[in-house]
Amino acid sequence: MKRTELTGILAVLLLALLPLSCGRQFDVRPFGPNTGRTTHIYPDYQDVTIPCNIAPLNFYYTDPAGSRFQTFFSAGNYTRVFKGREVVWKEKDWAALLSAAAGGDIQVHAVWRNDGKIVTRTWDIHVSTDRIDPYLTYRRIEPGFEVWDDLEIQERNLENFDTRILSDWRHTENKCMNCHIHAQGRGDLSMFYLRGEGGGAILNRNGKLRKLTLRDSAMISPTVYGEIHPEGRFGVFSTNIIIPALHAAAGQRMEVFDKESDLCVADFDANRMYTFPETARPDVFETFPVFSADGRYVYYCAAEVRPIPAELDQVRYSLVRIPFDARTGALGSPADTVWSAARQGGSVCHPKASPDGRWLLFTLANYGTFPINHRECDLCLMDLATGKILDMSTVNADRSDTYHSWSSDAHWFVFTSKRDDGLFGKPFFSHVSPDGTVTKPFLLPQKDPHYYDKMLRSFNVPDLGNAPVGFDAEMIGDLWKNTPAESFK
Amino acid sequence: MRKSRRIVLIILAVALLAAGLSQCVFLLRYPYFRQYAVQNSVSLREARKAWGRPDKVSEQVMGMTVEASRENWQKVAELAAEKDLKSEVGTYYYNLANAMLGQLPDRLMDYYQPFERGLFLPVGPKSTPFQIACAGDVWFALGYMPLAERDAMLGMLFSPAHTGSRYLRRMTETNLVTGDYEAASKYLRILVNSRRDRKWALERFPDKWSPSYQLRIAEKRNLMPSFDRVHGMDQTPIILRVLLGSNHTNKAALDYLLCYDLLTKDLDAFVGDYDPSLTASHLYEEAMLIFLAAKGGMSEENLRHYHITQPVLQRFNRFVTIYKQDNGSARNLSGEFAGSYWYYYYFAARNEKD
Repeated sequence: MKRTELTGILAVLLLALLPLSCGRQFDVRPFGPNTGRTTHIYPDYQDVTIPCNIAPLNFYYTDPAGSRFQTFFSAGNYTRVFKGREVVWKEKDWAALLSAAAGGDIQVHAVWRNDGKIVTRTWDIHVSTDRIDPYLTYRRIEPGFEVWDDLEIQERNLENFDTRILSDWRHTENKCMNCHIHAQGRGDLSMFYLRGEGGGAILNRNGKLRKLTLRDSAMISPTVYGEIHPEGRFGVFSTNIIIPALHAAAGQRMEVFDKESDLCVADFDANRMYTFPETARPDVFETFPVFSADGRYVYYCAAEVRPIPAELDQVRYSLVRIPFDARTGALGSPADTVWSAARQGGSVCHPKASPDGRWLLFTLANYGTFPINHRECDLCLMDLATGKILDMSTVNADRSDTYHSWSSDAHWFVFTSKRDDGLFGKPFFSHVSPDGTVTKPFLLPQKDPHYYDKMLRSFNVPDLGNAPVGFDAEMIGDLWKNTPAESFK
Repeated sequence: MRKSRRIVLIILAVALLAAGLSQCVFLLRYPYFRQYAVQNSVSLREARKAWGRPDKVSEQVMGMTVEASRENWQKVAELAAEKDLKSEVGTYYYNLANAMLGQLPDRLMDYYQPFERGLFLPVGPKSTPFQIACAGDVWFALGYMPLAERDAMLGMLFSPAHTGSRYLRRMTETNLVTGDYEAASKYLRILVNSRRDRKWALERFPDKWSPSYQLRIAEKRNLMPSFDRVHGMDQTPIILRVLLGSNHTNKAALDYLLCYDLLTKDLDAFVGDYDPSLTASHLYEEAMLIFLAAKGGMSEENLRHYHITQPVLQRFNRFVTIYKQDNGSARNLSGEFAGSYWYYYYFAARNEKD
């Protein structure tokens, strides 16, 4: 055999093997009772409402026996056809589709073969002209029962797939860090905690970073849950003695409850902490405080103290509102019950007021203060103008739906759901109309449509921001290492 | 020029051959190190970086954990018996293998016991990643899925690659046992894409279970708690009592509870937990004799009720006689009675670090 022939054969073989080596996609199996995907495509983007500035909704077909998939997209004069199990858009093509469909629908027609038969499906994607805040921050964490390793807080650009690390284990010697929250969706006003030695509450105000020890001798613990006042001078927080525990019964994972909890207010200008008798009662658990949109009230959750853990399933939190004086930082009295656990049944967690003052979104569980592992826990939307709870059946699933936040214009909210597997939290987005109609949520799109199948870390406390926060992991590492925490009295 | 090129090629070939041979020798010497690395989805180089160079001791404990993951209890017991490592993990697997072979109390005093830490590996800030990776095996064996799942999750969290079939398989099975097929399918989806795990995963789809696998799941489900109880992460006796309150025939859980009471020298708890009609061992007879003697309860009726045999009673009397003669010294007891519970009860002391 001549050398040229041998080279030719080798080249052909190499070309033949190339698809095997680099083209293998993630397998769509398993498929059996309660193990397969319940929809024809994953993520399920059928009949969802999306903002006109969202990244491409890439997906794959879940039919394990399917073949010859074809997907036809059309909106206005724009059409696009995909062949194959995976539908992965180029960003500029997707932007053209969104532009053609803004305010209307994208029609999707799918055709494939299964066992020799042709299967067809049709669905719409409604494109809202309401833009979503383009930045989403979240913590990536493995389910870890109060322990952690290699934590990161990231900021994702929702208009594409760019991700930025805001704080991570590499720059902080693997310290624990809690989730990042914006004040009313503002990129220039936000905070998160770095725990442990050298840590503190990291406050970002107008791009200036401070590290704060939000504790005084009267408080039962450092601050835990809380929010920054819209004007930026004050923050309201809970202080909690938190106990982790387990359920013996199958299907219930880690439980967390408070042994004690109170509220406090931090004055970031005067470096002072304030506590008040009404919200530091020994006979009441007080937690999850947030400000109303106008900053004149604090909403929080309150429950009668009971023996714990023996009567944990009797600990039910009501939603309470108390006046707040934005000049002095004082919490007034009396507290009004906005939603009564005793009267209506259930336990309220994580209230969040929409920045326009119209809505209050909260989580409802059967009992307790740790909804993330409560399968029954659902989101509730209260119309603050009427006090009515609106129908959220299109949003909630049969797994935990919680850890929500609003976009700065109050047209969108994001929440973490454990739907699909019950284990890993993923961010979903829903649209709210002025009449309170909420839309079927859609999952945060990813470049790789199989991303969530491979994922072994949760998206923890997703929070929307209208601008990027002005810091990164290197700055946080520097702050952690070189700047002492400011003390509060 | 051509000659020098040939020499370079020969040197390269020899170097490659030497490296290959060295790798072969390494794999022959440390097969369990390699298998544990595979279970953790890391290469040998990454494994060495994470866990250091293997030696005989690490090979022995990795062997125990690899064989335990396959539930080859006889092999685990053989590996443990090769050399008493006097380590928590070594004893933990020896105890677990003996429990699965139905001989935990009978063999308990035959080897090193670091108090309760040889029964249940502590999972806390001072635990090593390896301990954490091993800690769930006992809970899975006893039928307590919440902790079996937790420890697999934590094992994976602290593993070098933050993944690994060892953990994914365990979490698949804990969820198949509890009936959470959606959660199990999360892991099956990942495992079915791995060449090494594909067959294992395909056999575990709920509609593909073989009769023997159906039986295995049914047996595990039979051990699970039938009622709820919220408990702290380290409330071991409460968890064991929940298991027994749900299924009093869970003999492994019963022996673990009784041995826990005895290794912590809590004889009051032992007497409360011990029912001689459910399990028997000379260990339990020995422990009851200490209790009865201390409480003035050495009556015929009590001895009969607790199935205390004459040889054990005579031996106890001899132990007490020597103990008193020597004013509580172990000097003349360490030979004949070193393997008795009496010797452990009176002379075993916790290390400072415990």
